[in-house]
Amino acid sequence: MLIRRFDLPLDNDAVSRFLPWIIAFMVYLAILALAGTLVLGAMAARWDTGMRGSLTVQIPPAPATGAAGNGKAAKRDALKIKQALEILRASPAVARAEPIGERQVLALLEPWLGDMGNAKDLPLPHLIDVELKPGAPLDVALLSKNLAKAVPGAAVDDHKAWLKRLIRLVRTFTALATAVVILIGFATIGTVVFATRTGLAIHQEVIEVLHHIGAQDSYIAGQFANHAMTLGLKGGLFGLLMAVPTLLGISALADQLDDNLLPSIVIAPEHWAALAGMPIAAALIAMVTARYTVTRSLSKML
Amino acid sequence: MAADKNGCVARFENVGLRYGLGAEVLRDVSLELEQGSFNFLIGSSGAGKSSLLKLMYMALKPTRGMITLFGHEIATAHRKELIGLRRRVGVVFQEFRLLRHLSAFDNVALPLRVAGVKESEIREHVIELLTWVGLKDHLATRPPTLSGGQQQRVAIARAIISRPKLLLADEPTGNVDDRMALRLMHLFEEMNKLGATVVIATHNETLVNRLGHSCMRLDAGQLDFVETPVSGLSGGPANAGGFDAGWGRTDD
Repeated sequence: MLIRRFDLPLDNDAVSRFLPWIIAFMVYLAILALAGTLVLGAMAARWDTGMRGSLTVQIPPAPATGAAGNGKAAKRDALKIKQALEILRASPAVARAEPIGERQVLALLEPWLGDMGNAKDLPLPHLIDVELKPGAPLDVALLSKNLAKAVPGAAVDDHKAWLKRLIRLVRTFTALATAVVILIGFATIGTVVFATRTGLAIHQEVIEVLHHIGAQDSYIAGQFANHAMTLGLKGGLFGLLMAVPTLLGISALADQLDDNLLPSIVIAPEHWAALAGMPIAAALIAMVTARYTVTRSLSKML
Repeated sequence: MAADKNGCVARFENVGLRYGLGAEVLRDVSLELEQGSFNFLIGSSGAGKSSLLKLMYMALKPTRGMITLFGHEIATAHRKELIGLRRRVGVVFQEFRLLRHLSAFDNVALPLRVAGVKESEIREHVIELLTWVGLKDHLATRPPTLSGGQQQRVAIARAIISRPKLLLADEPTGNVDDRMALRLMHLFEEMNKLGATVVIATHNETLVNRLGHSCMRLDAGQLDFVETPVSGLSGGPANAGGFDAGWGRTDD
């Protein structure tokens, strides 16, 4: 039951003035940490799903000497690619296998090596992009062995090694950010407990009168809980208002980075919805904590 | 249940009370308050009158002895049970204990609100009672701007708004002149006529002798029963009706 009338003059004490500010800063920090968690989580998931269904096969270029040798080497390389493609396409787990053109390979290297023009002198490996059928079992070791037998020097890269390390790092950051959100939650609870106990001490006389005229603990606790909820909501909304420009600023800065080096940091609409729920969460935490604190304290009274 | 099977609203058996490790302020107090009785509690300052009333309105538990209110033993009663019992007790505190941030109307309405009475009913009852005690023009006034006598009447109105079965008043005439004191006593007699058991702690023995109800005397924490002359100005509760007309003219 929502008690709108406050028989206790809770609005007039100092606690009511500082509590919304503390909650505002807590919510501000929690929103930043939560935004980090959500963005990193989404990033890891994108990498995971994007990479898990693909392989890259590398075929080392044949050595060439002189102009005539170049032509022969190109023919040998084309044959190697053809053999490798045959083996790959014969595998039931492979959905698609296509060679990556030289231009594309150069484009992939551009962020690290810059514009290299034709780069004819650079012994670039030939790459085959392999798309796997979702859910189909594939023995990567066996495939590597068969490819190496047919095409000496061919290597299969399933991205697992570096992807695992990257995802582990991202997940560590996510866990840390989640821990920060939880710690902020506990700090908020502690603050509300302290504020409520102070309120109980300040208004002890009024509470005694309410008891003597037959007020139940739930009636008094309801007054504290509704008041704490109002303060929590006020503080939470202010914290959200402070956090939105901060997040937009971080997002704008991240957008200026090179796309090829880092996936774009995007706060999806569902992430915004979760962040907007923080003031409500703060209000609910404040309300439940205040009710529990008051009920527990009153139960020790006569 | 308003009283136990013997018609007692309150029963004290060898009750003792001490604050902390101090000496006993009440010693071996035994009493029975019959349903519908009107009782004075007299004694000098520090004799233990307020402490005895606090035991009656369950603000304290005795350090020894047994208290039974409305047939419930207080020492073993559950908290929720005590809340139910408190709603049957109306208290006029010595220092009024009105809520300063609430209007006279809201102060008087408080016992009904905590009991969950509908707001429409509350309004009707509160206005009627505040009119009865001569404060119709002060419904929205807050206690700090009311005079002592007006605050006392608000406190009394708050104590009786929920028609308590046991009405306790601690020095209700302490801050008013004799004329006002007599009017307040008539109000309590009116409540008594409506069925409430009344206990009034006072040191005004002149008033007690004039009204002539049963009287208990506390002396250094021990209780005695005192005979009082049945005479008084009003001739007892039967003649108490009609006094309320005077409230409207009384403005401190």
